Amino acid sequence: MLNTTFLGMELPNPVMIAAGPWNRDGKGLKESLEAGAGAVVTESIVSDTMLDVRPRISCDRLGAENIRMYSDIQVEGWEREMDIAKSAGGVVIASISGHTPSELAYLASKMERFGADAIELSVSNPAAESLEVVASHADILFDMTKEVVSAVSLPVMVKLSQNTTNISKVAKAVKAAGGSGVTAINTVRGILGVDLEKAVPSLSTYGGISGEYIRPLGLASVATIAQTVDIPICGVGGISSAQNALEYLMLGASAVQVGTDVMIQGKDSIRKIVQDLEIWAQNHNVRSLEEIRGKALENLKAFDEMKFEPAVSHANGVPCGENCSLCVNACMYSAISRSGDSISIDRSRCTGCGLCTSICPAKKLKLDL
Amino acid sequence: MNIKQIAEAAGVSVATVSRVLNHPENVAPKTREKIQKIIDEEEYTPNWFAQGLNFKKTRTIGLVLPQNINSANMEVANAVEEVARQKGYITLICNMEKDPRREKEYLDQLITRKVDGLILLYSTLNEEYASWIEDENVPAVLIGETRARDNWDSVFVDCRAGAAEMTAHLIECGHRRIAMLCGKDPEPEAKAMLQGYKNVLKASGIKVEETLIYQVNNNIEGGYIGMKKMIGRLPKRPDAVFASSDEIAYGAMDALKEMKLRVPEDIAVAGFGNDRMSSLMEPKVTTVELPYRKMGIYGARMLFDQIEEKESKAPKRRRAKKIQLQTKIRIRKSCGHRERIGEMF
Repeated sequence: MLNTTFLGMELPNPVMIAAGPWNRDGKGLKESLEAGAGAVVTESIVSDTMLDVRPRISCDRLGAENIRMYSDIQVEGWEREMDIAKSAGGVVIASISGHTPSELAYLASKMERFGADAIELSVSNPAAESLEVVASHADILFDMTKEVVSAVSLPVMVKLSQNTTNISKVAKAVKAAGGSGVTAINTVRGILGVDLEKAVPSLSTYGGISGEYIRPLGLASVATIAQTVDIPICGVGGISSAQNALEYLMLGASAVQVGTDVMIQGKDSIRKIVQDLEIWAQNHNVRSLEEIRGKALENLKAFDEMKFEPAVSHANGVPCGENCSLCVNACMYSAISRSGDSISIDRSRCTGCGLCTSICPAKKLKLDL
Repeated sequence: MNIKQIAEAAGVSVATVSRVLNHPENVAPKTREKIQKIIDEEEYTPNWFAQGLNFKKTRTIGLVLPQNINSANMEVANAVEEVARQKGYITLICNMEKDPRREKEYLDQLITRKVDGLILLYSTLNEEYASWIEDENVPAVLIGETRARDNWDSVFVDCRAGAAEMTAHLIECGHRRIAMLCGKDPEPEAKAMLQGYKNVLKASGIKVEETLIYQVNNNIEGGYIGMKKMIGRLPKRPDAVFASSDEIAYGAMDALKEMKLRVPEDIAVAGFGNDRMSSLMEPKVTTVELPYRKMGIYGARMLFDQIEEKESKAPKRRRAKKIQLQTKIRIRKSCGHRERIGEMF
């Protein structure tokens, strides 16, 4: 039921484990597949391994920040690692990173020879790659994608960055260059926080933020690409449950990747996501992922297409026994008041902004004409 | 002891001993152990040259450097050696001292010694010599821009773009009269850099003054002498000096110090290469990073690709592989910038 075809590859389910240290070698990749991932992406393989800075990862309740996580295994070593990874029988995607088209093409053709099933170009890492990531320039990305596509006969997907002014433009460049798909999004340049006593930021240089912090950015990026470019999309960013995965799928992704959640919770989290996805599909009588892919896009319009309707908030006539006044406090138009157990809305003051409907923990408020 | 005596001592044929050495998996475990024991006891090692003759392989590659006193060249060599070592090869390093005649002599020698492949860093090879190497059917890779052969695998860097980026940066720092101390070698790179420098000046509406361009030897002494001459001859000193290598920049800074001129307050300096020393100088040298390690790694990788292709008797490729690597500007202190905008974050 969850099995799907992505870029011509048969996957048992659409949930992949994203590029990262948890997929740093053949053994790690094999374990990821055995944990139930639909496919796995290697940690980004580079021309020359570099010394890792320490520390390079920091996290809090909502996500993580990292500095440059690239493979510490040289290209030569990946021949062996790829063999080990492939021995599990699943789909292994090689993530490669570099700075010029010829460099990337070389790495891609090596990975093809070593047995990778697809290539993911990772040229959007915000950490230690200067202020402008390569993937923010459509023309550079075009040249890189084109050279890689002509060097291999594998599907080539390109991991995009939210650090760009127009993600649709870069996705179009990937398609025009012959890329088979895009992955959206990579981590977003950020700083998790500052230790006030020591005046020290979370990490000693700017990092890439992942996890829940970036899910809304990822969802919007995927939706934007889906609405503007006809290219298969793999959604990434803050997925830690089947619900999150479904959100991406409904906004147009054909597959998804999980990274930070695997990093924090371990690979078992994948098993749970896939199981819950299965259960959800059964409960909703979904026989194929195609039935839900992009379904929410129908309800996502351009601003110009939105209708101006005089909707206002209603308390549904239900008495509110909640011991909170969240809606009262949040109403910027002073339209909501409470007396005892009942909430009343002054319809002449309500401007229909909708904030109360999402802030109410009991979902008692509704916008209506 | 030689292989015959080992065979006699073990009561087996020479071929069996040879198999133990080269394909132990094809020898019965008992026999293998017996022979290996004798080999170990006698501390026998196979004759390396004889082995080379037999397998038509010496597991040796030749690396010809323009000069080995230069730390950048050694970084390239180090990376080549690292890949070769992983592949089970040793690297013979020859230093041609920027002398084309000596380069040819070394190539002759290396080919005579039956190396399995050649890597030439900033080669001065001419057309005729290049075709001789082709006729010898020795896999070869060039590191650096070539003047002769377009049909050779090569790794190179877009020096024109790197020089253009640095010139633009110096202009952004507020400098107008920007001099160039341009090394005489490696020639194709030096020419490209000069072109990049001139292009940006022109595009920025700054007149290219030939009196501000000095051709110097590509080393510390060259930079020192060039800088002294330039300051001595010009009625008004330039705002900034762009050196085509970090070594030239070090020499120039040394001369400026002697002349009691401060860097960057009196005159800004920028280098090219990002040698290890560049960030240890005072002030730290703004420069363009050349990916020395990657140049070496790719040179070696492409060579072993060729060697493996040759062994596998795959149909010969028609198109040469060209890998272009990226330069990256490293903004430090010697350029006199006031804002951190271009710095690596």
